Amino acid sequence: MALNVHERRTERQLLLILLPSLALLLAFVIYPALYSVYLSFTNEALTGAAALRPRFVGIRNYARLLNDAKFWNALLVTFLFVVGSAVIGQFVLGLVSAMALRRRIHFRRLFSSIILLPNAAPEVVAGFMWISMLAGGEQATLSRIVSFFGVTPADWLQVFPLSMIIIVNIWRGIATAMILLTAGLSTIPTEIYEAARMDGATPSQMFRRITLPLMMPTILLYMLISAVSTIAVFGLVYALTRGGPGGATELVSIYIYNQSFTAFQLGYGAAVAVVALLISLVLGIGYVRAMKVEV
Amino acid sequence: MKKTVIGGLCAILLSAVSTLAHAETIRIANHGQAGIDAMKATVEKIEKKYGVTVEVVEYPAPDKDYLTKLLTELGAGNAPDLFSIPTTAAVADMVEAGYLTPVTKEIKAWDGYANFYDVAKKLAVSPDGETYVMPFMLGIQEIYYRKDVLDKAGISTEQPKSWKELLDRAAEIKKKTGAYGLLFPAGVSWGSGAFDEGFQHLIVGSKTPQLVDADGKLDLNGEGVKDAFDVYKQLIDNDLMPTQPLLGPEPWVVPKYQMFPSGKLAATTCGSWCYIFDWGRESKNPIPELTKVVGTWTVPGQNGGQYVLANLAAPWAVNAKSANVELAKKALMEIGSVETQVSYAARIGNIPASKDAAKNADFQKLTELVPIHAAAENGTFLKQASGFGTVAEGVARATEALLRKETDAAGAQKILVDYVKETLGDEVVK
Repeated sequence: MALNVHERRTERQLLLILLPSLALLLAFVIYPALYSVYLSFTNEALTGAAALRPRFVGIRNYARLLNDAKFWNALLVTFLFVVGSAVIGQFVLGLVSAMALRRRIHFRRLFSSIILLPNAAPEVVAGFMWISMLAGGEQATLSRIVSFFGVTPADWLQVFPLSMIIIVNIWRGIATAMILLTAGLSTIPTEIYEAARMDGATPSQMFRRITLPLMMPTILLYMLISAVSTIAVFGLVYALTRGGPGGATELVSIYIYNQSFTAFQLGYGAAVAVVALLISLVLGIGYVRAMKVEV
Repeated sequence: MKKTVIGGLCAILLSAVSTLAHAETIRIANHGQAGIDAMKATVEKIEKKYGVTVEVVEYPAPDKDYLTKLLTELGAGNAPDLFSIPTTAAVADMVEAGYLTPVTKEIKAWDGYANFYDVAKKLAVSPDGETYVMPFMLGIQEIYYRKDVLDKAGISTEQPKSWKELLDRAAEIKKKTGAYGLLFPAGVSWGSGAFDEGFQHLIVGSKTPQLVDADGKLDLNGEGVKDAFDVYKQLIDNDLMPTQPLLGPEPWVVPKYQMFPSGKLAATTCGSWCYIFDWGRESKNPIPELTKVVGTWTVPGQNGGQYVLANLAAPWAVNAKSANVELAKKALMEIGSVETQVSYAARIGNIPASKDAAKNADFQKLTELVPIHAAAENGTFLKQASGFGTVAEGVARATEALLRKETDAAGAQKILVDYVKETLGDEVVK
């Protein structure tokens, strides 16, 4: 259908308004992403002969990935980290907090402030803060606390590295979960609960048959956002463990950094980054399909 | 009104003239307050002598982070004009990447060069025969041990004569005192230290004492490499070396700054800087009567011989893409002065590469360093080659696997070889 003069003018105006954003997107997102794809087919490095004369190496970097035990370990660690901290920990605690805040409880503001506070700290700051809690064996704050209750202290980041970073990330991410899920909860009409209550439904039944089904779009959106953002977590874990000990907390994001800026192999690091990007894309497509959104 | 305008214009003109007078600026990368303090007088001297402004940019203190920042900036073409290189192992790779300006002609014509120890001159020459760095400070490394702890337990403080004797001594220390007997830095978090302060000590005294063959290929499959890893294996399996702290993000803190001063670790590899920076007057946790209670052993060879490892301690170089290479080279020669060397020695504990430092009154006051300076001529070292940075990272990965008891010596050697081949290609390894 042909556009009339007014519609054409409006379209031009809209394009003009969008132009700066598009330019920024092109310069800072699309170009670097495409350049990373290009890099992944080269042996580009930050030092040595390859820094001076990088070569096109075809799919060598990707073939190397298939046999790279450290890469597969990083994928597994990332999967456990995402499932443990975002999909389970932050979701469950975020939902509980959101439901609690919906009711008129005492100290509601204080409660929500406490939950929101960790999210205000930058990742690295939060990481360094938790080092004093967890590192240093008997000197760690957590060790002193558990000693008081007769539990043997430990070097927590050494003995339970993955569990510790999962706990710290849950602590940091509850607020985001709570805010998103609160928004989802607020879309459910209270009349439905009232009707269910009059029909004699128990709180558990109301949760399973009303809250969860009606919250599903929000939950799926939350799952996608939190999974993608958790895959990208870097500063928090780098500050806490640098991916150690022995790769026990080496997330894909840290592995990309280590390959690119510790081993200085930019080409290989880019190949890992491209694969991580593809995984995020698959998650996104999965979400779109789950929501049955027409693209 | 007119007067105000004319006055304003004059002020602008004056400001422009004064800016032009100091138009040239050179940027220097330095790290840690001690290093910045050590360079302060030299920076002022450069500014005065050449009429330039020197901008000192502070880089991250851990060597690994320092090198990452430096190489990233060099790759991007916006690195400082002058910088120190945190590990000797990185020099050959940086030369190959075209980051460094050769200074062979200038340094040989410079009057301070003749007085450098031979070991410093040799260490500064890259595989292509050119010199790219100012080798003004040396890290002289040995094994530092707690004399007081050993004496109290009735353990011999005699120089161990072989690896076996060294391991037996470590076992005796553990048995009689409960303290850990010997530490070789290891693991990924220690960065280049796993190679520079650990692995190198053993390789120079092994059956295959170099890692580079005559063609410049990396020789990592030698018997000595496996045997060196086996020393780590024995220390770790017999609980003679602390392992848990080495797997943390700052692995040097607990063993070097807490366990050794408290006597819970009785011996560790270290450099002359330990007498100043780690446990001496610049330390946050100094050991009282340091030179009386801490002695040194040379590192014994596998079957005899004694080895004192010499490294260039953070040598300085000129950025090949510096806007003013000639000026940066002149500044580099100032950095090499005896005064700068002594200033570094006093604050960090490295050893001046210049024999002339022995005549310097300020250096003579550093009584703990004077005998080490005199012995610097006997330092031994590994021949450098391109790819050494990758070898250092491979050693860190291999020793980390040993720390985690995931492999044996042969497995550690395979981790090293595989990592270097994967990273640099099969053809670089013999």
